[in-house]
Amino acid sequence: MISPTALTRRAAPVLACIGLLAVWQVASLVLKNDSFPTAIEAIRAVPDILGDKEALINILASLRRMAMGFGVAVLFSIPLGLLMGRSRAVAAFFNPLLMVIYPVPKAALMPIIMLWLGVGDVTKTLVIFLGVSLPVIYHSFEGAKAVEEKMLWSGAAMGLSPLQRLVRIVLPAALPEILTGCRTGLVLALITMITSEMIARQSGAGNILFNALDMGQYDTVFAMIIIVGAMGICLDAIFERIRARLVRWSEPQFDMPLSFS
Amino acid sequence: MTSRLISANLLLGLAPIALVIAAWQGLVSFGFAPATLLPPPGYVFSRLLQQLVSWTFQQEIAATLVRLFAGFAIAVVLGVSIGIAAAANPAINAVVRPIVRVLAPLPKVALYPALLLLLGFGHGSKIALVTADALFPILLSTYYGASTVEQKLIWSAMAAGTSRYEILFRVILPAAMPSILTGCRIGLVISCIVVFLAEMITSTDGLGHALVTAARTFQAVDMFVPLITISLLGLILNALLGAVRSYLLRGFPEA
Amino acid sequence: MKVVPSRSSEWVKPVASQKPASAIIEIDRVSQVFQTSARKDHLALSDISLTIEEGAFVSILGPSGCGKSTLLYIVGGFVSPTSGAARIKGQAITGPGPDRGPVFQEFALFPWKTVLGNVMYGPRQQGVRASEADALSRSLIEMVGLKGYENFYPKELSGGMKQRVALARTLAYHPEVLLMDEPFGALDAHTRTRLQNDLLNIWERDRKTVLFVTHSVDEAVFLSDKVVMMSKSPGRIRQVIDIDLPRPRRRSELLLDPRYQKYVVDIERMFDESDEAGSAT
Repeated sequence: MISPTALTRRAAPVLACIGLLAVWQVASLVLKNDSFPTAIEAIRAVPDILGDKEALINILASLRRMAMGFGVAVLFSIPLGLLMGRSRAVAAFFNPLLMVIYPVPKAALMPIIMLWLGVGDVTKTLVIFLGVSLPVIYHSFEGAKAVEEKMLWSGAAMGLSPLQRLVRIVLPAALPEILTGCRTGLVLALITMITSEMIARQSGAGNILFNALDMGQYDTVFAMIIIVGAMGICLDAIFERIRARLVRWSEPQFDMPLSFS
Repeated sequence: MTSRLISANLLLGLAPIALVIAAWQGLVSFGFAPATLLPPPGYVFSRLLQQLVSWTFQQEIAATLVRLFAGFAIAVVLGVSIGIAAAANPAINAVVRPIVRVLAPLPKVALYPALLLLLGFGHGSKIALVTADALFPILLSTYYGASTVEQKLIWSAMAAGTSRYEILFRVILPAAMPSILTGCRIGLVISCIVVFLAEMITSTDGLGHALVTAARTFQAVDMFVPLITISLLGLILNALLGAVRSYLLRGFPEA
Repeated sequence: MKVVPSRSSEWVKPVASQKPASAIIEIDRVSQVFQTSARKDHLALSDISLTIEEGAFVSILGPSGCGKSTLLYIVGGFVSPTSGAARIKGQAITGPGPDRGPVFQEFALFPWKTVLGNVMYGPRQQGVRASEADALSRSLIEMVGLKGYENFYPKELSGGMKQRVALARTLAYHPEVLLMDEPFGALDAHTRTRLQNDLLNIWERDRKTVLFVTHSVDEAVFLSDKVVMMSKSPGRIRQVIDIDLPRPRRRSELLLDPRYQKYVVDIERMFDESDEAGSAT
């Protein structure tokens, strides 16, 4: 049984989506602009894109690269962040470098990396990897730093070696914070993917968007926006489900994505 | 003793940066990478200095900065006011919350083609994109800061005769300030990144456009220069905001 | 070691008058210096020597900032002393080990593990089979009075319950010495007395060696065989007092016992004196 309040809470995002689409519909009817189709027209164009085999293959290839880049970045960033959080020397070593990298627009590296590695999957995955790494490192670092010293001492008294303490105490204790970083990283992976495809204009979802724009297929442009937006919202919602399951034990957190760094 | 510790840490921190530059130089010097693909660091930095004093390049920086600040300023005004309103008023909260929940994880850059169609290829679309991207971190941290203000702080102010309306500006806003400024810092760096990317995707001026132009003509050096410039801008603005923050928050513990 | 002369020195009996017991922990001329700011060093512990007999319940009593917790951490092996050494059974202490089990004021439970998971952690780490560790842990959880809470997470428990779990978790890996760092300091008065009673009942069963840090005079006298009084800046042992009260102790009887009252009053008076002496200098 779902209580009425829980029902409204679950329905609220759906209502918000419908509301936003309604605002769009009204705005486009009022503006009567040729290049601004109504929400209904855009939604009608969605099945056309997803039914188009080439477009679908393109989008799936994008998603595969995104998953690769995200996965490698997470596997690389969590251990680094945890080490930085537990060792002042490691933190002092990496912090300035990361601070310098932080404001570099990662997707903007696309043309340069293309110059070296070509336009293949490696380049695109590498750019996504760069985009995802920083927030995951940062949150793992913060999470590891906040682990209570006495908890580690308790573990040490039970005979855990330093490495065991890192894996069996610091990692789980920092998990809520790590997953917050991963959630930010996931959205950033999608953003970096789309942006780099818009810049390189070779293939993928970002490319479909601008091709349609250049050819004046405005329905397709807006339909693609709906598809990409839905991807972002779904990925975030799925990840939030997983996160909530994994850290059921932790004190309830602020349930909005707080960090975008 | 402590100052010695800090300088030791600083040396340790500069080591990897020096290593990266050394490796970069090494790659070129030992012929692993041709200078056309990877220009040596000395060349890139001298080119950077040369460009920074040139009028045309300064024009590009100015165009980027105008968009950056306009977008960021709108995002701050909108983000802080919506965030405070949502924290203070349950009815507004009920509306804002689900909308933010849906829009925050949406990749804003996907909206860029739509913004181009609606606002044209000039400043408007880029400023709107910057605003859209910088808005949510500012809004969310304002909301977070304002909704976690200690209840007893508000009670104390009410007991002292402050009106409900005044409490918003005299208690909640200052108490949420640390959180708001954290959001602004994140929003500012995001603004730098987004304005550059928008200019790369489609523009006729600005730093991002400079990179794309260089890429079309395979001028590797000129590709590095705008990229380093925007990163430096990000670092400088970040440091400036940090200074503003430590000034505004001088009364707060560990600000 | 300097002992400040005192009127109450009649209680400082030679240890040999008790039942003959072997020393389990020896603290030998330990000093600890902390760097507080750029150029200032703080002498937290100055030349501490202390011997603790096996099976004794020893409290370290002193005002906050006298370094009593630091002394405990040195015995635990969590902090290494600037000079001097601590030994357990003649072996120099170089790091933490399962022979010395800490119980902290902050509980330090693993929040991602249930009550049962927390208590089982130590035995499992020692290589005890899962079924055995499970049975042992359940009986310990029952002993500390938390039967029925095995599958609760720490966030669902009150402070007193968390500290019970922490005690069970430490007892589960059979340390030879319990190191208790103001374990009841964060609890309300009522919970505190209940936990003191329960701790004594549990201790009566196997009489493990306990080193108990506290700033409460009542608590120290009520629980201990021996109270080590410390003074601050620099942290020194002021006096060691044997508490000659019968066991098992019942709170209701003890509070009315004039000997108990005299211990409490005299110790409080000694601290007051040293405070006055301290403020005079």
